[in-house]
Amino acid sequence: MPNIDRREFLKLVGAGGVGAGAGFMLKESKKDPTEYLIPYVVAPEDFSSGIATWYNSVCSMCSAGCGISVRTREGRAKKIEGNPSHPVNQGRLCGMGQAGLQVLYNPDRITEPLLRTGERGAMSFEQITWEDGLGQLAERLELLRAARRGNNVCLLSEGTNGHLAQLFESFMRQLGSNRLHHYDFDHPHTLYAANQGFFGQDHLPYYDLQNTRLLLSFGADYLTNWISPLHHSLGFGASRQRQEEERGRFVQIEPRMSISGAAADEWVAASPGTEGILALGMANHMVSQGVYQGADRADWSAALSDYSPSMVAEQTGVSESTITRLADDFAGTQPSLAIGGGAAANHSNGVDMLVAVNVLNYLAGNVGREGGLLFNPQPAGTVSRPHQASYRSMLELAEAAQQGEIDVLIINGTNPVFTLPAAAEFREALDAIPLVVSLSSFFDETTVLADLILPSNSYLESWGDNFPEAGVGFRVGAVSQPVVSPLYNTRATGDIILSLAQRIGMSSTIPWTSMEECIKDGWRRIYEQGDPQTLAQGFEEFWISLLKAGVWGETTTGTTSFEPDQNIIAGIGVAAPEFSGSEEDYPFILHPYLSPNFHDGRGANLPWMQERPDPMTSVVYGSWVELNPTTAEELGLIEGDLVDIESPHGQVLAPVFIYPAIMPNVIAMPIGQGHSEYGRYAKDRGANPLEILSPQMEPITGNLATSATRVRLVATGRHIDLVKTSGTSRDLGRNIVQTTGDEGHEVSDARLNSIPITELT
Amino acid sequence: MEAENNKLGYTDIHEDVVRSIVVTGPKYYATLATAGGLALVCFFFPWFYQLYYGIGAAGMNHPGVWGTYLASFIFWIGLSHSGTLLSCVLHLTNSSWRKAMYRSAEAMTLFSLVVAATYVFVHVGRPWFAHWTFPYPNQWELWPNFRSPLLFDVMAIATYLTGSTIFIYMGSIPDFAAVRDRTVGWRNTMYSLLSLGWRGTDTEWHRLHWAYTFLAVLIIPLAVSVHSIVSWDFAMSIVPGLHQTIFAPYFVVGAIYSGTAGIVTVMFVLRKYMGFEQYITKLHFDNLGKLLLVLSLLWTYINAIELFTGWYSGTSDEYEQLSFKLFGFYAPLYWEMILFCAVAPLLMISKRFRTSFVPMLILSIAINIGMYTERFLIVATSLPRQYLPDAWGFYAPSLVELSIMVGSFAVFTTLFLIFVKIFPSVSMYEVKETMETPKLKPAIPQAGSPA
Amino acid sequence: MSLFSRFMDGWRKYRKPGYYDEFDYHWTMTVDLDSCTGCEACMTACQAENNIPLVGEEELAKGREIQWIRIERYWEGEYPNAKLNFMPMMCQHCDAAPCETVCPVSATYHNQDGLNTQIYNRCIGTRSCAVYCPYEVRYFNYYNHHWDSPLDQQLNPDVSVRGKGVMEKCTFCIQRIRDAKDLAKDDDRRRVRDGEVQPACVQSCPTKALTFGDRKDTESQVYQSMNNPRAYKVLDELNTDSSVVYLKKVDA
Repeated sequence: MPNIDRREFLKLVGAGGVGAGAGFMLKESKKDPTEYLIPYVVAPEDFSSGIATWYNSVCSMCSAGCGISVRTREGRAKKIEGNPSHPVNQGRLCGMGQAGLQVLYNPDRITEPLLRTGERGAMSFEQITWEDGLGQLAERLELLRAARRGNNVCLLSEGTNGHLAQLFESFMRQLGSNRLHHYDFDHPHTLYAANQGFFGQDHLPYYDLQNTRLLLSFGADYLTNWISPLHHSLGFGASRQRQEEERGRFVQIEPRMSISGAAADEWVAASPGTEGILALGMANHMVSQGVYQGADRADWSAALSDYSPSMVAEQTGVSESTITRLADDFAGTQPSLAIGGGAAANHSNGVDMLVAVNVLNYLAGNVGREGGLLFNPQPAGTVSRPHQASYRSMLELAEAAQQGEIDVLIINGTNPVFTLPAAAEFREALDAIPLVVSLSSFFDETTVLADLILPSNSYLESWGDNFPEAGVGFRVGAVSQPVVSPLYNTRATGDIILSLAQRIGMSSTIPWTSMEECIKDGWRRIYEQGDPQTLAQGFEEFWISLLKAGVWGETTTGTTSFEPDQNIIAGIGVAAPEFSGSEEDYPFILHPYLSPNFHDGRGANLPWMQERPDPMTSVVYGSWVELNPTTAEELGLIEGDLVDIESPHGQVLAPVFIYPAIMPNVIAMPIGQGHSEYGRYAKDRGANPLEILSPQMEPITGNLATSATRVRLVATGRHIDLVKTSGTSRDLGRNIVQTTGDEGHEVSDARLNSIPITELT
Repeated sequence: MEAENNKLGYTDIHEDVVRSIVVTGPKYYATLATAGGLALVCFFFPWFYQLYYGIGAAGMNHPGVWGTYLASFIFWIGLSHSGTLLSCVLHLTNSSWRKAMYRSAEAMTLFSLVVAATYVFVHVGRPWFAHWTFPYPNQWELWPNFRSPLLFDVMAIATYLTGSTIFIYMGSIPDFAAVRDRTVGWRNTMYSLLSLGWRGTDTEWHRLHWAYTFLAVLIIPLAVSVHSIVSWDFAMSIVPGLHQTIFAPYFVVGAIYSGTAGIVTVMFVLRKYMGFEQYITKLHFDNLGKLLLVLSLLWTYINAIELFTGWYSGTSDEYEQLSFKLFGFYAPLYWEMILFCAVAPLLMISKRFRTSFVPMLILSIAINIGMYTERFLIVATSLPRQYLPDAWGFYAPSLVELSIMVGSFAVFTTLFLIFVKIFPSVSMYEVKETMETPKLKPAIPQAGSPA
Repeated sequence: MSLFSRFMDGWRKYRKPGYYDEFDYHWTMTVDLDSCTGCEACMTACQAENNIPLVGEEELAKGREIQWIRIERYWEGEYPNAKLNFMPMMCQHCDAAPCETVCPVSATYHNQDGLNTQIYNRCIGTRSCAVYCPYEVRYFNYYNHHWDSPLDQQLNPDVSVRGKGVMEKCTFCIQRIRDAKDLAKDDDRRRVRDGEVQPACVQSCPTKALTFGDRKDTESQVYQSMNNPRAYKVLDELNTDSSVVYLKKVDA
């Protein structure tokens, strides 16, 4: 076979195997002219010119774990679709998921292992071999392990789960280190803590949006980036598409209208950080009106006595009539569901607020029933939640580094230099770490500071598996497999760890030579716990059918009943939110929100995401700061005026956008732009609001209170033309988007527009 | 006029015209070089740049997909309307004041059409396939789309171009013969060919007159239809502000208006620089001025109708488009147009104004600036304001477009400059008709008569 | 038939775009405005499927976006009662399409499936179709487009990459329709069943706000939608006979 070396040709495993890439190795410079027309004289088995081959895998663009089916042609990935069999997304896929192709084929990917030659951050690297790179790192690790200083090694990874997470755990344990941290900016620490605190469950419940008839969302942008946005969108759609009275109603409570707010039937603006107080006001009303008739009614009454609707109205800015109406609706509509998240969960009172939301669900009788909140069973595989680092943990890590307690830091796919505020001084902490290794695929702000880079494959080139932490009410797992052979001289993250394990002599506990082997072995264990029918097929059959389907499930459900502890009830309460900065100096509250296009910044190097207009504002390729129209008028600002947004901890520059649905004393900025590195599409574009956040924390979890920073606006006198795709976003009476409440609009007779042309008059 | 021409004889007109062709001074060459140079630098080079890189070099975008190229195209077609149309109408009404100026006016028509045709190639995204608009036999068995107003355009302009060429050529045959008889060398050869062996016999004159009149009768409806068809490019769309039945008369009136103003400008230049003061006189300017005044009043009326329909419709679509036109970003241009084309021409009520050369020149240029603005506004204020407000946009021309616009005038000037050196720019035989027949001296002196 | 009735028959056909007696299929899309959340997954799916070029910031600043399907935003009211309505807008495949009559070279025509098709290699770029379209869903290639290698490895081989000077727009993923028809033909010459073919946008929509099908099939979802009392068509008063049915947002 001409010009195909072993690395290119991957072995087939049934129909779930991988076709070799059509010779797309960038190192390959000379090709026979006939090879352009007919790439292979003897083609790999699954390669038929003109016919697509589909592979199932799992999307890794966010932590929801949607199943995907990737269409490949001649060894190239062409289109990512949702996997119809996967219960999380049921064949649908969000835009970021589609853009995974641009992670794979991104022009700014790191293609070789690199070793730093100049100063840190100067971007001077030389190419080295894998042998060299792995050897150097293994040597250092071995030394530390032998000297019983394994705890001076820290592995800081993006959130992963499944067997890769398990591998990380084993590896670090063998090394003698307890510094395994997963750091995801958007990890819902407070939600986990609230569920642990109120329900005593250490994993998330299942929120049954599909069957609910009234959803009250306290700040959670469930359609865009809260836990499992695809699944919630499916639920939202199904709820809307039910006939007439069965149609679900959605209410959003937040200071700035998010996408979920726009989709909602009602948007209620509550003062930032008071959402929990509002929830308890509603709870108070439900108890005092006799809606709740549980045995512990007296306990509840006592606990909620400070939260009468009139008192709550004052604190939250929401009128008493609205509070009581919402409470009545919530209790009266069955089933109903309350959820919380987003900015509301990221205040100093975040955990208490989410407990208050759970209280509402409990009092309305939503717990453990369809259309409400259902408990999930334990996930079938390892999850990263136990190792998810809160802001406090990251501060502790930085402190440890400064104290010289960290000798080696291994970074995998996470970008703390970008997502942590400048006040955390994480970048400075890195200076104190002698060896920083990165396993990332891109030169993001953290990776440019590395000394050794061992680049990972993208998720479309890797073996892996996923057990969605959000859950769907029953156990689900999926295997992700490579859909193309690796484009460059990179390796799967798992394979890197396995190679290191080999070199350091951990083969007894970590015996696998490849990630594929490791995952297959892991699934053998799952298979062995299956029912007799599954066992009858034999493991190989099971494995093939798993890869063909792309998903595995088990009907084990979670617990259904729940009784709150008396002590817990007594402890219910939501304190007023705390903010940094004084109100006179810093009159506005900064509301940073996860951008639908870039999430926490990871999508900024994807040109499709830069070019896609922001759903609410239609701005492309830039950042902006949203101002209430009255506020803007008072400050004499128009769209495009450049302003400095100053907090007690720094300032950023952004153009103004007049936003009709935001509270007058709140300003909002999308998170995701403002990269100083991260490739040609992301670099030096826009502003990063995370930089200037004050280091307020939620006390129980140590979670960063991202919505607790006060800021002031200083006009610079400069102006730019915001690049947006929308023209005038008002319909000027033309009734373009028609609603059923429109008066005097004839319902058009849209039936039977099939044209039998011969009937033309 | 008769009083002035009485002083001139046949020989004078022959000498003047032939001299204008044959005698070429450095001033002419300098002008030609400048015009040609400007044409190359301002028109052709940017166009080639655009051909290479794409229409992106211009300022068009989404939804402003049409821009100054189309506006200029319509402007040049408009300019082309007066020459030949005026010549034909005045011929049929037997007016004598057309005789000195109609040749140049027809030339103006021809070259305006040529420039307009070139603009089609500039405007279109893939001009190397522009020939697909012609119905020629091909292996795909495809006809062009005959329902398309743009195709009507192609047919109409091709017909008009052909008609005008034949018309001007045919009308020049006796003059070519006259020049042939008074030149030598290569010119003689050229004019011999061009004059097709004209001998000036009675039959020939008779046939010429008949053919000329036939064509004149044909060209009048043709000219009216051409600009109506061009207007239907806009009027057959459903774009608010463009979809109006007034568009055909609007464009035709506008075209004649703009073309007549163009004639005034050309006449001034010819008069001054070709030494035709004796032939192009105050009378011509006076009559042209009266015509311009009438057209101006008509044009004002039609504009008022347009405003009225927009307002009267009561729909947001029409109203917003009108509002953008009158009070939006391009409002200064709109009011400049009104000033130049509706208000300023009222000066021509005064005969003194009409018969003053330089004021008429300035006014005619102002009118054309206003008319160009009108075409530009039609394109730039309608497309960015259609039915879906979210899709509204903004269009402004780019440097490449502005350069090509300036360059198009240079192209026209270059062509015209070449014209005056080949064609007799004043029609000798027609002017002779306005003169007194010269009295011949008797060959044999007769008794009692003065020697 | 007599000469006169032949003439009248021809005249009737001539008056309809496409000149067909009857369409083979009559592809229709339904957009449920009550379910659309404006997430724009459809936009990215369309970009990936149809090789939509990356226009870049500079060109976007000039207003030259290419978005075969776009989400329009219409705010209603003022704070605190502001509402934002999203409207997905793509080629409506009008049966009485204004764009089809104006193309001088017939680069856009109505095909036997009721689709308004754009033939890229016939287009000479007069852009009059974009002017005539009241929905403004036609996009022009102002330049040749470029994908930074290796992003071009992702391009879909079933869809042409358009060069400069050519007009493009939503095709209802005609390549998928053709594939589905081919498969159905191979499979015992049956018709394409409801749900067998979905354009990229419909397939991706997380809330299932978009549905697609053949309205000649009375069992299809789209046929049911057309009889939904909430059904309407955008700019219906212009009588374009569009093939996209919108379902009104519910005021609740």
